Amino acid sequence: MSSRDTILATVKSNQPGPRDLPADYSAPTANAVDLTPQFISILEAIGGAAFLVSGYERIATILHEQFPDARRIVTSCSQLTAFAAAAAGGDPHELDTVDLAILPAHFGVAENGACWITESQMIERVLPFITQNLALIIPRNAIVATLHQAYDRIATLEAEGFATFIAGPSKTADIEQSLVLGAHGPRSLTVFLVDEHLSDAGFY
Amino acid sequence: MSSENHKDHAALAAKFNKDEARVDWHDQTLWFVRAKRDKAAAAVPDWELLRDTASRIKENVLSNLSEYLRQFEEAATRNGIMVHWAADAKEHNDIVLGILRKHKVDRMVKSKSMLTEECHLNEYLKENGVEVIDTDLGERVVQLADEPPSHIVLPCIHWKKEEIGQLFHEHLGTPEGNADPRFLTHAARLHLREKFLTRRAALTGVNFAVAETGEFVVCTNEGNADMGAHLADVHIACMGIEKLIPQRRHLGVFLRLLTRSATGQPITTYSSHFKRPRPGQEMHIVLVDNGRSTHLGRKDFRNSLKCIRCAACFNTCPVYRRSGGHSYHTAVAGPIGSILSPNLDRKKYSDLPFASTLCGSCSNVCPVKIDIHEQLYKWRQVIVQEGNAAAAKTAAMKTMTWVLSNPGVYHASGKAGRWFMLNVPFTVKNKWNAWYLQRELPEPPKQSFGQWYKKNRKV
Repeated sequence: MSSRDTILATVKSNQPGPRDLPADYSAPTANAVDLTPQFISILEAIGGAAFLVSGYERIATILHEQFPDARRIVTSCSQLTAFAAAAAGGDPHELDTVDLAILPAHFGVAENGACWITESQMIERVLPFITQNLALIIPRNAIVATLHQAYDRIATLEAEGFATFIAGPSKTADIEQSLVLGAHGPRSLTVFLVDEHLSDAGFY
Repeated sequence: MSSENHKDHAALAAKFNKDEARVDWHDQTLWFVRAKRDKAAAAVPDWELLRDTASRIKENVLSNLSEYLRQFEEAATRNGIMVHWAADAKEHNDIVLGILRKHKVDRMVKSKSMLTEECHLNEYLKENGVEVIDTDLGERVVQLADEPPSHIVLPCIHWKKEEIGQLFHEHLGTPEGNADPRFLTHAARLHLREKFLTRRAALTGVNFAVAETGEFVVCTNEGNADMGAHLADVHIACMGIEKLIPQRRHLGVFLRLLTRSATGQPITTYSSHFKRPRPGQEMHIVLVDNGRSTHLGRKDFRNSLKCIRCAACFNTCPVYRRSGGHSYHTAVAGPIGSILSPNLDRKKYSDLPFASTLCGSCSNVCPVKIDIHEQLYKWRQVIVQEGNAAAAKTAAMKTMTWVLSNPGVYHASGKAGRWFMLNVPFTVKNKWNAWYLQRELPEPPKQSFGQWYKKNRKV
């Protein structure tokens, strides 16, 4: 018998009697309130930054101020091609020199400051990890309360080969529990929450 | 203890305890992490409902594991992932080596996987001419020091920054005497980035695998699993068969619990969902049994297979915090390791269920509600019954049984004990009495309770 068949047979004979799955989890919802302040404060607490903006022009201005030394900037947003290069896929190793990547994401999660981004938004899978700095863009009204609502929303999106939650910049506390931002991935994460009804002065 | 060629937990803990200031520091560092966990858990109003739900989902998984494994294999294969099955550590290691040889790869990057520690993969690959670089910062530290991790989430929690500075000076050429965590992390970033860019194969662990969709989730803060996997031509993910969950929506429950329990963060920086290889890449999953299917048949112990490896039980354990991870002489230390390891080798790990005060704190913080302290107690009974307890402990217990079941002997020995402690205390207060080593003995009473009762009930 192959290892597969032996394992499956042993598991089958040793597993306990049937236990039902619990009912689908329904977290306390907070859909009525504006989740933006919670999302921003948690994102800041985990080392990220957030800006509430009226549109892409404002994003370009802010990033220009924040990263004056960035030489190689890539994006998959057609609205930002005046500011950044529209990188094409290819050899992922070549992205090692990217200083700033600006990518759209699907939505944010208020309880943990995470954004859900899928392969089709990343140019290359490695880009959100290999870039020195990362900026993500989501619509302001695309923030859900908890991960339960997040997975409800994911179920409505087209399934892709790779996707990830990104919550803050890459970090480690492996040396004596001292928090250091920029372990292997981005040293900074900026999330832009786009609200077209906002005036340009509308900082949060 | 049970074997001559390895030291037991008590002996290894005694070694760790020689430096009292360091033990205090270790204890406080882990308690700091435990306190962060408490704060994070308290901020979630439905925390207890989450734990209960997670526990019930995992119970369902164990009761239907054979079907979920089949379902996962089918879905993953459909997604273009190659699925392998390994009955034991040896087969797991052979499968990994086989994949690397097929691609003529002799250098690989690896992100954290306690399973590969359990299987001693690094040593095996090294013997077969494959260089493995651990890319998690903490794991890289212990790898450079030629040590195993001492904690499943915080691999080098027992290292001081000055020592890491010295280690990096020797291996990575950082300036001598520099012990700044930011500087050292940056040095490791540069050192490891070169590895990510030049290695063609990457191995990762798996936090959760979803039977319904055939995808698997890997959680890191550093981003090292993703850096390795997305740059490599070959991605190998290794997982114990108990890591399955039924549906993708259940990730909501587990990801909410995992990192809050582990470090007090609301979620890890990256929770990556791998479903299909990227174009041109090969993706493998190795499903490893290594004793798990047998363990599933042990009614009293099977629910330890619900573990999601958050290490909350480590951080809260008064014994772990004061004895250090290496005192457990096994890949997964702490309370959960003490109930999982006897399953792998009953003799070698017969000391571990005794490395506990049975205070129950481990069970109270466990996000999937494993009855850890009850299993520790049950393992003790099994170990003693099977004759695997330490010789001294067995002899002491047998003597106590004889004394306690013979009233005459009991009264005589009580009297003798009181006389010795009163008149010649050095005969019990000495270094040969194991009970006295870390304890002050009480002042002996002048009379026994029996004598007192006889005198007083007449009044």
